[in-house]
Amino acid sequence: MNDLQYDTEYFWQLPTLIKVVWFMCGVLFVVILILIGYLKFLRSHLRGNEKTLKKYQKEYEENLINYLYAGDGENEMSDEQRAMINKMKICVTDKFKRNIIIAVMSKLINDISGEMAHAIQKFYFETGLVNHALYKLKGKKWDVIASGIKELTQFEVKEAHDEIVKYVKHPNREVRNEAQLYLVSLFQFKGLAFLDKLETPLSEWAQIQLLEILQKFDNQEIPNITPWLQSENNSVVQFALKLAKIYNQFDVIDELLALLSHENKEIRIDTIRVLNYFQDTESKHFLKTNFINSSVEEQMEFFKLLETVADKEDEAFILENVAHHNFEIKQAALKILKAINVEKFNEVKLETSDLQVVEIVNFIETN
Amino acid sequence: MSNKKKIVLAEDNSTLSLLLKFRLEKEGYELLIAEDGKKAIELIEEHSPHLILSDIMMPYISGLEVISHVRNKLKMQIPIIVFSAAGQEEMVLKAFNLGANDFMGKPFSPNELVIRVKRLLSF
Repeated sequence: MNDLQYDTEYFWQLPTLIKVVWFMCGVLFVVILILIGYLKFLRSHLRGNEKTLKKYQKEYEENLINYLYAGDGENEMSDEQRAMINKMKICVTDKFKRNIIIAVMSKLINDISGEMAHAIQKFYFETGLVNHALYKLKGKKWDVIASGIKELTQFEVKEAHDEIVKYVKHPNREVRNEAQLYLVSLFQFKGLAFLDKLETPLSEWAQIQLLEILQKFDNQEIPNITPWLQSENNSVVQFALKLAKIYNQFDVIDELLALLSHENKEIRIDTIRVLNYFQDTESKHFLKTNFINSSVEEQMEFFKLLETVADKEDEAFILENVAHHNFEIKQAALKILKAINVEKFNEVKLETSDLQVVEIVNFIETN
Repeated sequence: MSNKKKIVLAEDNSTLSLLLKFRLEKEGYELLIAEDGKKAIELIEEHSPHLILSDIMMPYISGLEVISHVRNKLKMQIPIIVFSAAGQEEMVLKAFNLGANDFMGKPFSPNELVIRVKRLLSF
């Protein structure tokens, strides 16, 4: 009996549980070997891809720069530039190469302006890359559509307006966001027309992005924001309030006063903030009348407004709120009282038995 | 030995670096490119350039650290132009406080950059 036969016989004589464990060990060993092999293959494949990507990236960077400096200054496009475009036209038919070309162009167009930026846009059109981006708009996946719109925004393809405007109401938020950014980036304040009929919410992040883009333009002539302040879409109203503040829209005061009765608390608070920024006095009467029925947040905002616009006429109202249960309102009331009538403030100081009031008075007097 | 004026360009966008290299070499300058702040400091110490162009946001060592190193450690008074993106206004102020001479907000025109470089190197 040789060693192998002896081992085999010994194995079969083992208890079933031990045999199962040995069998599992064998299976696991094979699985680990397969996984190691697969990981090695995957790593070399990824490294190979990365190497190819770097190679093409370098090649296309050079091609693009050569194209940009190949203009002869006389013709719209030199022969060298034409030859380069024809060469790149072939490359863009391959998805892998196309993505690298787009990445290279994107890197450059974000950082340069002027004639060269126009030349890159021309390159984008002439090589047919624009058609691939337009084709993406017909995709079924939301991320493909969103990336198509983003690309068209980046390369300022105004001709895609009619196609992209359809996506403003797309069920996917990212697609809607990209479509809205496209409209505002390329058509400035006119692009905000989508707000007229917007039914979906405009997220806070989307609002910030839109405002940031708008502030980059030289032309700061804002359209009439009244319809947006009257919108049934609360996020549109909140966005319009931001526009009113940033662009000093004093002529919409009547609409702002109407918004003080809006059903949404956040909108009412935002409105008071804008009125405070405008140092509006017309809203005082309304806000005083409705003070008791307002939320604490609104009351606090109103007192911030009063800190800027309060006068002698508000004295009685201020005195009523010196004993307010909210500390911040109490503090604001005393501060305003000192500003509009020091004598009355001193009277309150002497007569009060409220320890909190005493502390606030001391704080106000020493600061 | 070359009489060309040396410029160190610290920029992590390789395409932009290449574009500026072409443009400035056409104007007769010698460009030394660094893809991060660390490499930029090495090039500055090795070549003592006549001017530095630096992006503010870079890997490893930022443009601000490069300026600080040049002004405080190397005690070099060569002109420095910084590139900044939108929203980096505070960084630009810090760059000026550290000793930068000029700044250009991205996106910028390469032609305008050439004018500024010529102006600073003419003093």
